[in-house]
Amino acid sequence: MASSSASLKRREQPISRDGDQLIVTPLGAGSEVGRSCVYMSFRGKNILFDCGIHPAYSGMAALPYFDEIDPSSIDVLLITHFHIDHAASLPYFLEKTTFNGRVFMTHATKAIYKLLLTDYVKVSKVSVEDMLFDEQDINKSMDKIEVIDFHQTVEVNGIKFWCYTAGHVLGAAMFMVDIAGVRILYTGDYSREEDRHLRAAELPQFSPDICIIESTSGVQLHQSRHIREKRFTDVIHSTVAQGGRVLIPAFALGRAQELLLILDEYWANHPDLHNIPIYYASPLAKKCMAVYQTYILSMNDRIRNQFANSNPFVFKHISPLNSIDDFNDVGPSVVMATPGGLQSGLSRQLFDSWCSDKKNACIIPGYMVEGTLAKTIINEPKEVTLMNGLTAPLNMQVHYISFSAHADYAQTSTFLKELMPPNIILVHGEANEMMRLKQKLFTEFPDGNTKIMTPKNCESVEMYFNSEKLAKTIGRLAGKTPDVGDTVSGILVKKGFTYQIMAPDELHVFSQLSTATVTQRITIPFVGAFGVIKHRLEKIFESVESSTDEESGLPALKVHERVTVKQESEKHISLQWSSDPISDMVSDSIVALILNISREVPKIVVEEEDAVKSEEENGKKVEKVIYALLVSLFGDVKLGENGKLVIRVDGNVAQLDKESGEVESEHSGLKERVRVAFERIQSAVKPIPLSAS
Amino acid sequence: MGTSVQVTPLSGVYNENPLSYLVSIDGFNFLIDCGWNDLFDTSLLEPLSRVASSIDAVLLSHPDTLHLGALPYAMKQLGLSAPVYATEPVHRLGLLTMYDQFLSRKQVSDFDLFTLDDIDSAFQNVIRLTYSQNYHLSGKGEGIVIAPHVAGHMLGGSIWRITKDGEDVIYAVDYNHRKERHLNGTVLQSFVRPAVLITDAYHALYTNQTARQQRDKEFLDTISKHLEVGGNVLLPVDTAGRVLELLLILEQHWSQRGFSFPIYFLTYVSSSTIDYVKSFLEWMSDSISKSFETSRDNAFLLRHVTLLINKTDLDNAPPGPKVVLASMASLEAGFAREIFVEWANDPRNLVLFTETGQFGTLARMLQSAPPPKFVKVTMSKRVPLAGEELIAYEEEQNRLKREEALRASLVKEEETKASHGSDDNSSEPMVIDTKTTHDVVGSHGPAYKDILIDGFVPPSSSVAPMFPFYDNTSEWDDFGEIINPDDYVIKDEDMDRGAMHNGGDVDGRLDEATASLMLDTRPSKVISNELIVTVSCSLVKMDYEGRSDGRSIKSMIAHVSPLKLVLVHAIAEATEHLKQHCLNNICPHVYAPQIEETVDVTSDLCAYKVQLSEKLMSNVIFKKLGDSEVAWVDSEVGKTESDMRSLLPMSGAASPHKPVLVGDLKIADFKQFLSSKGVQVEFAGGGALRCGEYVTLRKVGPTGQKGGASGPQQILIEGPLCEDYYKIRDYLYSQFYLL
Repeated sequence: MASSSASLKRREQPISRDGDQLIVTPLGAGSEVGRSCVYMSFRGKNILFDCGIHPAYSGMAALPYFDEIDPSSIDVLLITHFHIDHAASLPYFLEKTTFNGRVFMTHATKAIYKLLLTDYVKVSKVSVEDMLFDEQDINKSMDKIEVIDFHQTVEVNGIKFWCYTAGHVLGAAMFMVDIAGVRILYTGDYSREEDRHLRAAELPQFSPDICIIESTSGVQLHQSRHIREKRFTDVIHSTVAQGGRVLIPAFALGRAQELLLILDEYWANHPDLHNIPIYYASPLAKKCMAVYQTYILSMNDRIRNQFANSNPFVFKHISPLNSIDDFNDVGPSVVMATPGGLQSGLSRQLFDSWCSDKKNACIIPGYMVEGTLAKTIINEPKEVTLMNGLTAPLNMQVHYISFSAHADYAQTSTFLKELMPPNIILVHGEANEMMRLKQKLFTEFPDGNTKIMTPKNCESVEMYFNSEKLAKTIGRLAGKTPDVGDTVSGILVKKGFTYQIMAPDELHVFSQLSTATVTQRITIPFVGAFGVIKHRLEKIFESVESSTDEESGLPALKVHERVTVKQESEKHISLQWSSDPISDMVSDSIVALILNISREVPKIVVEEEDAVKSEEENGKKVEKVIYALLVSLFGDVKLGENGKLVIRVDGNVAQLDKESGEVESEHSGLKERVRVAFERIQSAVKPIPLSAS
Repeated sequence: MGTSVQVTPLSGVYNENPLSYLVSIDGFNFLIDCGWNDLFDTSLLEPLSRVASSIDAVLLSHPDTLHLGALPYAMKQLGLSAPVYATEPVHRLGLLTMYDQFLSRKQVSDFDLFTLDDIDSAFQNVIRLTYSQNYHLSGKGEGIVIAPHVAGHMLGGSIWRITKDGEDVIYAVDYNHRKERHLNGTVLQSFVRPAVLITDAYHALYTNQTARQQRDKEFLDTISKHLEVGGNVLLPVDTAGRVLELLLILEQHWSQRGFSFPIYFLTYVSSSTIDYVKSFLEWMSDSISKSFETSRDNAFLLRHVTLLINKTDLDNAPPGPKVVLASMASLEAGFAREIFVEWANDPRNLVLFTETGQFGTLARMLQSAPPPKFVKVTMSKRVPLAGEELIAYEEEQNRLKREEALRASLVKEEETKASHGSDDNSSEPMVIDTKTTHDVVGSHGPAYKDILIDGFVPPSSSVAPMFPFYDNTSEWDDFGEIINPDDYVIKDEDMDRGAMHNGGDVDGRLDEATASLMLDTRPSKVISNELIVTVSCSLVKMDYEGRSDGRSIKSMIAHVSPLKLVLVHAIAEATEHLKQHCLNNICPHVYAPQIEETVDVTSDLCAYKVQLSEKLMSNVIFKKLGDSEVAWVDSEVGKTESDMRSLLPMSGAASPHKPVLVGDLKIADFKQFLSSKGVQVEFAGGGALRCGEYVTLRKVGPTGQKGGASGPQQILIEGPLCEDYYKIRDYLYSQFYLL
């Protein structure tokens, strides 16, 4: 709907000049969750936000729609956080496409990105052809990724961008991009609630013109953190007390660390539970511990204060579990295992063996992606299909307690109300949830100044921004502030999106550029009297001044105040001038003349006659050329009664006075075009304005 | 239209005194750096005391005493109350540096210029920024944007960019363009044509910088030579600045060569320093963060260095040759001084200075050539009172207590009177006076409790009213005291454990030391005795200061080529030298103000803003040149609806202008270009380029710094009339854009 209205707008204004077009196209995560990838283009600058993989698909099908864009045109790629639906197609995009722009992510994201993807490559059981990338690609991609710190402003090709804390996982960022004064905020996944280790998402200092915001939670409201934690621990406590087993399928990194902090604390407070083991089945998380220990600056004050006493990430009641073979499944236990969607791997193996016992429980702690088993069992079907293809009854209790650090409706609407962006683009949410959110947001912004859009994948949203180009006139040119009608001439320097106008001789003062003058000195063999040259030059050029060279005392001539002709010695003449097109031409003709003198003395007279004749001929020729050029430009050109040319285009008539260049027409567009065309033709046939000499 | 900018040095011009400058931008007063020297000479702060209350913001550049040492004192005594801006490492390491300074002093003197509490409260309100973060000031400073950028001298060290209305004021002192083990080089060269550059001339006369590899080799050879003959090596270092680089060099070298000589890093805060530094990887060089990203190998997980926080541990260490890095670098206080006195008379030992000592300190004296044979050193230490002194002290205390009780009851009466609404207060100014004094002194009590809970939590009660408390004769009961080395529990610095306890345990350990220092209420006194120390050990100085040398400074300034330049922080000769150099080669406006001399560096630039109309812009064809694009415009001024000046296309024919060649020709590059085109080129004498057989090309006129303010380049091409001439001229033209 959004796109159809946008394209409608386009038809109405075929050559819209009242603003520059800004295009936002989701290549993934448009009305879906997974494979986040949003393309944005404005004033020739192209940006890609995130580069994820859809967890429910495999192979090429899991990629965002990269074919929609030309990867080589992308200037900057910004990754918000390390989750695979936001970062996992990066090695593919960097190594297997023509992309050659720059990639940025935060320090913590980069450190975890590598571990996470290396693990992803290892566990994803797909055929070699379906492999999008291998470990080598990941390692190579590490060299290309640049890091950005929170709030640090980076400028690439005139695109300015910086990032804010997003609160979703360690190192998660929201990117603010500024292109020529138009600001775009891409939130990625964010949460405005502070938890055990992360800060809440910051409220940007500036209001963006466009806010591309996630809508994962739709119109849901989260329960307060304490209630959620209580439900979570209560379910676990009661299940293990009855001798059951608890399975918590979770992503390896991010929310899992938060849940482990909760569990470890709960166990510490309940000594009766100490004999019940908690396992965390992810070698990856263990590897990432050094990262969690190092980037404490990205975490909240609570965790930083805790570091003072002991490292909260060294768990006292939780032991790691490397594989299901090491797991001695006797009696009650709590196991947190990956992957979160129960697609395969350890969490699925445990699910398969535990699902038919009703004493057991499965707690789904976060968002489930459409198409995964976790999403299926939330509706409590009677039976489930096991990995081996058999079906089994689903007797275990399934609880959905969301710890996902995605903003809920309350957070989203407050966030947007504070920011008041005129354009909101919803991404990263299921189509239905997104529509509900859109409707509800409409009621929150009833004034109608806020546009809310929900493009699908590959659907472009087009917006127009009135980009006033402002220039700063500096230096000598600005010595006097001009009034209306005055002329301003100078060099316009464009750097990024800033313009400066300055006098040419001050170019080196106000910019890194410098100017140069090229002096040319050429010697021509000439035997004969210098006076002959002088005589000939005077015949051809309007201004020839004679003088004597101060050093040698030899006679010298200055032609058109540009070129100095000197007699160097008996046999040589030298020409000296400083380069510019006109002087070059003058000097060329002088050179030709001198050469002609020495070779073809007798022809002088004939030439002179020719010159007179040719002037008339030239006049005619010029008229012919002007006429021919105008015909080729406008088609219908006739000689009018009063010597003016009459030009007809699409029923509009313009009259052109060949002498003065004045144009009369009722149609201003045509008038302007004819005037400009005539001006250019004039400068083409008579390149040297007489006033120059 | 220009923004008004005034610079007033408060300290650190025409000498090597600490840095402190007042920069006022459109009436908003920035205090940039707030340094003090290791002698804590209060007379240096006099200029600051006169302006302290008018300051609106403080910017700190590096975490050492010379750049931020006076902050606690100024906040406490001089009425400085502005918000402070610094990077996270500068804040954290600066705090540790001040702790170390305080603890070293307190050990040996009745140091009373500031207390741990003052340090805490000075640092608790620091607003922490990251590199390249554009921070928009609000309120009085509306419209001003400040941003720290990499300076490359110390961890977190910053050059500051202050922007208002598109005009930049850049403060860059002690920068280093060379990349080091733990730091990236400065990004100063990425700024071009700022309105004002404030920089130091500290190294302007120093040009003899050896290559890093050779310097490292000499450094390590010198150390190992002394170790192998059984000597000890002392490196007097700063608390948390340049020492990090030295630690990395030693650590790396020790692992490569498999040395078994122990290395000790001894400051009062060494373990906290390293723990914090481990979490500052974001601020370090690319190679360090890269190695962490790929192998999770934290460079500051030191395997060969033992961190010590008191001298006893060192004394208890197994005998034999060792390397000790101890603070202070000036040898004026701290462990380094003690160790120096102990080791100086053994010719096998080595004292290796890695930076020039501060002026007037013991380190500077030892660095003179030839080094002195004997030095007179006053050694002080704190001893518990005993015998008669103790009795006398106790009596005095009791007497004070009684007096206090008496006065307290008097005051109570006064207060009751006052509360009854009498305006006796005005007639009793004395009482009010005493009250205020006591509030300040007394505020320490509860604050220390806070420190014990957590060293960095601001003392919430520091401004709260106190019970009347009347002992203003001494601050002993707050800090007291005797440092009995046995009181320290010797804690093994288990490195693996240290790694787990990132950042935090630190506070615990630090507190232990501080606690024993403060809580030990046994009366003590400071005794001093003068020693003549025979200096028979080797004294070597090597440059690990991490500052750019004179030549680099000049080319850096030339590259930045500011419109106006202010020079600070260097001895008079160096300042004068650099000033002359810059005047001749870089820019015509160079200032080197004296202390408290205000220079007005408001730019005399004229400028106005215009809108570029769409009509004009659609006819402009830009030519790309480097990262900017240029075009010639002829336009006519009009007005937009919003009454803004707007440039419209010319209504008549544009008057012709003199063509301009834009571009920067480098002869060497052009030579390569020509040879790639198959033209024979070689350099002839006098910087001329001989192209082909006959044609010569040369740059004439003043060969100033590249581009710079030297005006347009003059290029002369000459030769006889021949085909080559025109060919080469065409190639030459292809290097320029004609507008």
